Amino acid sequence: MTRTADVIVIGGGVVGTSIAYQLTRKGRKVILAEKKDLASGASGSCDTSIFLQSKNAGIHLKLALTSAELFKGLKEELGHDIEHHVKGGMILIETDDEMRIMQDFVARQRQTGLKVDIIDRKEASRMQRGLAEHLVGATHSPQDGDVNPIELTLGFAKAARRLGAEILLETEVTGCIVKAGRVEGVETSRGSIHAPVVVNAAGAWAPLLGKMAGLDLPIKPRRGQIMITEPVAPYIAKQILSASYIVAKYNAEKLKESKSRAVQLGVGLSLSQTQKGNIFIGGTREFVGYDVGNTHEAIGAVLKNAIRFVPGLGEIHIIRTMGGLRPYTPDGLPLVGFVNGLEGYFLAAGHEGDGIALSPVTGKIVADLIVDGKTFLDVSALAPDRFSL
Amino acid sequence: MTDNKETVFICRCEEVTREEVDQAIRDGATTIAGVKKRTHAGMGLCQGRTCRKLISGMLAGRRPPEEIVPPTFRPPVRTVTISEIAQGDEE
Repeated sequence: MTRTADVIVIGGGVVGTSIAYQLTRKGRKVILAEKKDLASGASGSCDTSIFLQSKNAGIHLKLALTSAELFKGLKEELGHDIEHHVKGGMILIETDDEMRIMQDFVARQRQTGLKVDIIDRKEASRMQRGLAEHLVGATHSPQDGDVNPIELTLGFAKAARRLGAEILLETEVTGCIVKAGRVEGVETSRGSIHAPVVVNAAGAWAPLLGKMAGLDLPIKPRRGQIMITEPVAPYIAKQILSASYIVAKYNAEKLKESKSRAVQLGVGLSLSQTQKGNIFIGGTREFVGYDVGNTHEAIGAVLKNAIRFVPGLGEIHIIRTMGGLRPYTPDGLPLVGFVNGLEGYFLAAGHEGDGIALSPVTGKIVADLIVDGKTFLDVSALAPDRFSL
Repeated sequence: MTDNKETVFICRCEEVTREEVDQAIRDGATTIAGVKKRTHAGMGLCQGRTCRKLISGMLAGRRPPEEIVPPTFRPPVRTVTISEIAQGDEE
C-alpha cells in the first residue's frame, strides 16, 4: 500500500511526536513511522528532569529556556496530564575544584538569562534535607522542573493524531527513496510512503537511518542506567544533580583516561521524585553500542554514589532498573536542520540527555524551518552541516 | 461479584482497571510494555507478577499469543534496599 504525506517523521519518541504535533498545527499532513511503539527508546527509559542548569551557556541554554516557557501551557494545549512541575533544582558540589568549575559555569549561564545562584551547604540543607556532611555547597535555580516523559510523548502523539497526523506504530523504515539528489519518501515494513520532506528523528538510531540515505551521522548511542525506588513520602524536594555529572556530560574524553571504574562508567548523580513518589536515581554514560541492558557493576556504582550524597536513601527499596540509549554528538548539541546536498532530508536528532527538556522547542523550530523556512531563534549552531556527513 | 470493567483491577499495585487496559489496547498498545506505558500496569512494587499474565490474555484476543512480545525483565528480582546493594559490592 502506498501512502502520501507532506512530511514523513521517522521516530515515535518525544522529539518525533513533538515535531509531528507542531507540523499538524501548521496544517501539514504528517505520517509518523515508528519501528516499535511510542516512547520505546530513550523517551521511555530516562529520568523526569527538565534541567536548565545542566545546559551550557549560549544556544544550548537558550533552547532550554524557550522550552521551559513552552512547557507552562502544554498540559492544557495537549489535553493530556504530562505531570509537569517547576520545583527548582540543585547541583551538589563536593570539592573546591568543582566549586571553581561551577562558579564559572554559573556565571556564564547567568549571562544567558538563567536565574541561578551558588549557595552554601547550610542553605542547600534548608532546601533539601538529608544532604551529606562533606558537601561544600550547591548551585540552585528556581527554574528547573520535571515532567513524566512517557506521558509527554503520549500527549504529543495524541494531540498530533487529533489534528490529523497518521501515526504508524510497528512500522519499520527500511529504506530511503532518493531520486536525483532529492528525497521522495521512505520504504517501510508496511509499504512505501511518499513525501517531499523526510525528518529523521530517530534519536540514537538516527545514524542507522541516515546510512539508508547515504549519510554518515556523528551520533553514537550512549547508555544511561537508572534505578527506580518504591514510592515513598515526599523526600527529594528538588531536581538534583552532582557537579561530577556536569563533568561527565561535557568531558567524554576525560572519562576514558580515568583509572576509576565509576568514572569510566560516567557515573554522575541525578535524583528526582515523581508525582507518585518513586525516586529516580541516575546514572551512567557508557558507550556500549546498542545494548540497553543493566549491569550489576553499574547498579552498584550508581547507588553507592547516590548514598554518598544523600545517606538516607540507603533505607529505601529499589524496585526496577532501566537502561536507555541517549543520542550522543561530539559537541553536545543536536543536529537540527536540512541536509545540504540531499534536498528534503531533515535531521532532528542527537539531543543526548536533553531530549525531554528540549522536545517542545525542537518541535517548534523544525516545523518553522520546514513550513516557513525560518524560525525565531538563531539555530545555525545546530545545522547538521557543521559535521561532514 | 459483578463483572464491571471499571471495578475489576488488573494491576493491584498501581490500581489499573480492566477498562483502562482495554482503552490502552484501543489506543494502539500491542505488547505488555505498551500497556504498561499507557496505564502504569506493572510499574508497581511487584513489577507485573500478577498483571503480566492477565494482560497477555487480553492482548491475545487481538493477535496470536506467539506474536505478543514479552516484556523486558530487569533487576532486581525482588525489591532490595539501596544500602544492601551498595554494601554487597564491597564484600
